Amino acid sequence: MARRITLILFICFFGGFLSYSQEIQAVVKDSTKVNQLDEVIISATRTVRQLSSLPLPAQIVSKREIKSINAIRLNDILNEQTGLTTVSDFGGGEGIQLQGLDSQYTLILVDGVPLVGRSAGTLDLSRITVGNIKQIEIVKGASSSLYGSEALGGVINIITNTPKTGFKGKLNYRIGTFNTHDIGASLSYKKEKLGINTFINRYSSDGYDLIKTDNLNTVDSFSNYTITTKVNYQFSKDTDLFVSGRYYTQNQDYNASSTLKGESDIKEWNTHIKLRHKYNKKWSSYFEFYATRYKANEYLDNTDDTRFSEDFFNQLLVRPEIRATYNPTDKSSFIGGIGFNHETLDRTDFIAKPEFNSPYIYAQYDGNPSEKLNIIIGARFDSHNEYKSQFSPKVAVCYEINDKISLKSSIGYGFKAPDFRQLYFDFTNATIGYTILGYNAVSSVIPALDVLGQISSIIVPISEFNNELKPENSIGINIGADYEATSTLTFNINAFRNNINDLIDTRVIANKTNGQNVFSYYNVNKVYTEGLEVNAKLRLNNQLKISGGYQLLFTKDEGAERAFENGEVFARLTPSSPSFQLKKEDYFGLYNRSRHMANMKVFYIVSKWNLDTNIRGTYRSKYGLFDTNANNYLDKYDNFVSGYVIIDFAINKSFNKKYALGFGVDNLLDFTDSQNISNIAGRILYGKLNIKF
Amino acid sequence: MKTIKLLVVAIAFIGFTSCDDDNDMQLVDTTSEKISNLHAPQQGGTDQMGNQSPISGDFSKFDFATGLTTTSATEWDIAFRGTTIIINGGISFGATDEPIRTGESAVYIASGTLASVTGVDVDLLIQDSITGYAILTGSNNGWYTYAGAPTHLIAPTPGKILVIKTRNGRYAKIEILSYYKNAPSNPDAFVDEDNYYTFNYVYQPNEGVTEF
Repeated sequence: MARRITLILFICFFGGFLSYSQEIQAVVKDSTKVNQLDEVIISATRTVRQLSSLPLPAQIVSKREIKSINAIRLNDILNEQTGLTTVSDFGGGEGIQLQGLDSQYTLILVDGVPLVGRSAGTLDLSRITVGNIKQIEIVKGASSSLYGSEALGGVINIITNTPKTGFKGKLNYRIGTFNTHDIGASLSYKKEKLGINTFINRYSSDGYDLIKTDNLNTVDSFSNYTITTKVNYQFSKDTDLFVSGRYYTQNQDYNASSTLKGESDIKEWNTHIKLRHKYNKKWSSYFEFYATRYKANEYLDNTDDTRFSEDFFNQLLVRPEIRATYNPTDKSSFIGGIGFNHETLDRTDFIAKPEFNSPYIYAQYDGNPSEKLNIIIGARFDSHNEYKSQFSPKVAVCYEINDKISLKSSIGYGFKAPDFRQLYFDFTNATIGYTILGYNAVSSVIPALDVLGQISSIIVPISEFNNELKPENSIGINIGADYEATSTLTFNINAFRNNINDLIDTRVIANKTNGQNVFSYYNVNKVYTEGLEVNAKLRLNNQLKISGGYQLLFTKDEGAERAFENGEVFARLTPSSPSFQLKKEDYFGLYNRSRHMANMKVFYIVSKWNLDTNIRGTYRSKYGLFDTNANNYLDKYDNFVSGYVIIDFAINKSFNKKYALGFGVDNLLDFTDSQNISNIAGRILYGKLNIKF
Repeated sequence: MKTIKLLVVAIAFIGFTSCDDDNDMQLVDTTSEKISNLHAPQQGGTDQMGNQSPISGDFSKFDFATGLTTTSATEWDIAFRGTTIIINGGISFGATDEPIRTGESAVYIASGTLASVTGVDVDLLIQDSITGYAILTGSNNGWYTYAGAPTHLIAPTPGKILVIKTRNGRYAKIEILSYYKNAPSNPDAFVDEDNYYTFNYVYQPNEGVTEF
């Protein structure tokens, strides 16, 4: 009931804004038409590309938007984009769900190169400060044809600031609830051939506690630093060099219980070097070298200061790549590349220090056979020392019916390589006693456990683990249209379907004599996600911008669908009442997926006061976190997390173009769900100061 | 004298049995009962701190013919201890305090509701053995689902019907409803006492009849 009321409030609230905006429209109808620069996107094709004619579903979040909503971390801003929601995993990391696909299926890039450190599959987005970001590009749909593994659901690329002519500096500080401080400073220098850009950020918070009755915090206090430096040097008109380095370090309290206390530490560095040379009008080449290391260490001590546990995670990725672009005519361009991924991981509870080596090659054609038609055809081949080689093709077409309407369609293959954990894990829970084994660990660890007398029965024979674990793979289809109703009002719509095969899941492979089970990974499930995304944008007179977005989503496991169809699934009305058979339509779908997600944003600028203000709302409908009625499926008789609305408000005013003050409230309605949602802290008030020089 | 009496009884019994075969004899009706709070405690196991100790303690035995729990060494069909259920048939798995099996009990788990399981598929019946119990232990392997953190609830998996052959060749089907005392409709593993079985069962008292 409360949920319905908040939804109605939400609609009334924004409905009000809409009608208000219509009045404004009537007033400003005769004013001069606002010309907007066409946005460009890099991530979709790895070339600078006009967004409007791109045949792929893509979104750009501008620096302006990031600034006006006073976002500090990447999760703050991605959460508000249509079809995206941040979900927290059990390790506390906050990842992104895109088109209903888990966070491990979206590749996260910074300036075109990937971040690593997914200890439990999720790349924690709060690791990334947005203080130095120029724009965020979101490309939906399988993109392995360009990026290889992980780009199964899509790609999110964070483009950082580039130096502008002269010497510039910026300081910003934001203070907010939970004793949260975000301090950033950036210096940028550019003269003739040399450009340097340095950015330092410190972010700290006391954390918060949603469940007061226990001795633990929901999020423990932490502080982290990010330091990045970017250097551009132009040797000549045709040759330039880009060197960038990034260092991130975080220290956080780690309290597992009232008697177990410790700390967790993260250290990460990235180095990225790129040399570009243009041979002639048609040919250019890039030599790129990228290396990154992600180290996480944590420990827990007993009350008498003896060590209870210690964990480490140390991942390294090194990637050299050469690529070339060829533009035979204005209407067509080719890009091709060849590279090598070298990856190692040293981790607690691993049977080995594994090493992945994977050479790859890719090529793509992007052309306009006719004025109205744009085609992208691309493919990539990834060879690998640990699993089957992958060939990832992609085709996309955009057709401009007229000035107002264009149709877009794409189909692509995406894959995600089994991660180190799924292959090499050898972990036994110290308190409960169950064991999880990586696929490659089974054949050596099970016999060893058997010798120790810990195995009571083997359920899946070891011989089944002789073959390789296959990469999870998908075929993603997107069909959509853009409609420019007027110069100020645009719509786009996109229907999507992702068919995922060989999804890796865990199953019981043996029973232990302590009554617990041994689990391992295997390729089993076929799941699909499908839905519809709609976006509308209205801009008026450069003062008012209103946008709304909606995603309808269905996600199903085909095995579960079959079980329901065959009448194999039962439920009880209360935990102790007799069971009854469930029908096909009682199956709700995958965990943690909402059928409806919507957002609405209103940005308003009062130029004469140098003031900008905005109010944004996001809605997420009910979803199930886990099975609550013991039948192992999410059905309509399970307990669901109720749908909710988050409303954020911000207002900023600048003085002399040098100073800016901001104030805002995130989560105005003070929504929390302490039982189910750990990453929504409640209402946050903040103030902000920016100084430019 | 005693021998003669026994002989008479035996002949009479055989006579009855053959009558049974000829369908001259009226079948006895099945019984449908609900058993509440069958207490099946155990000692040891994994405690709240995660410490493990050997499991021991007597099994709580149940006899379908009387519909009662029993301490008899032989007159029992199934027995409970903690989440473990054993039957009076097969070979000992070797657990501490396990009773000696003297009967021919066997069991399998059918998918369905108590009403929808209308017959016994005798080919599926298995007995306890050295490698494990006929009703597997562990979450989702046998009759229950363990929810894990944070609720730690043990719930009977919906749609699991235990189809049982009794020690002397009768059949019964049972649906376990609760593992907590008084079968609360909203159990709390931290508040409600566990090891209390509540179940519905149907007993077919006619030997060899596989329909309920």
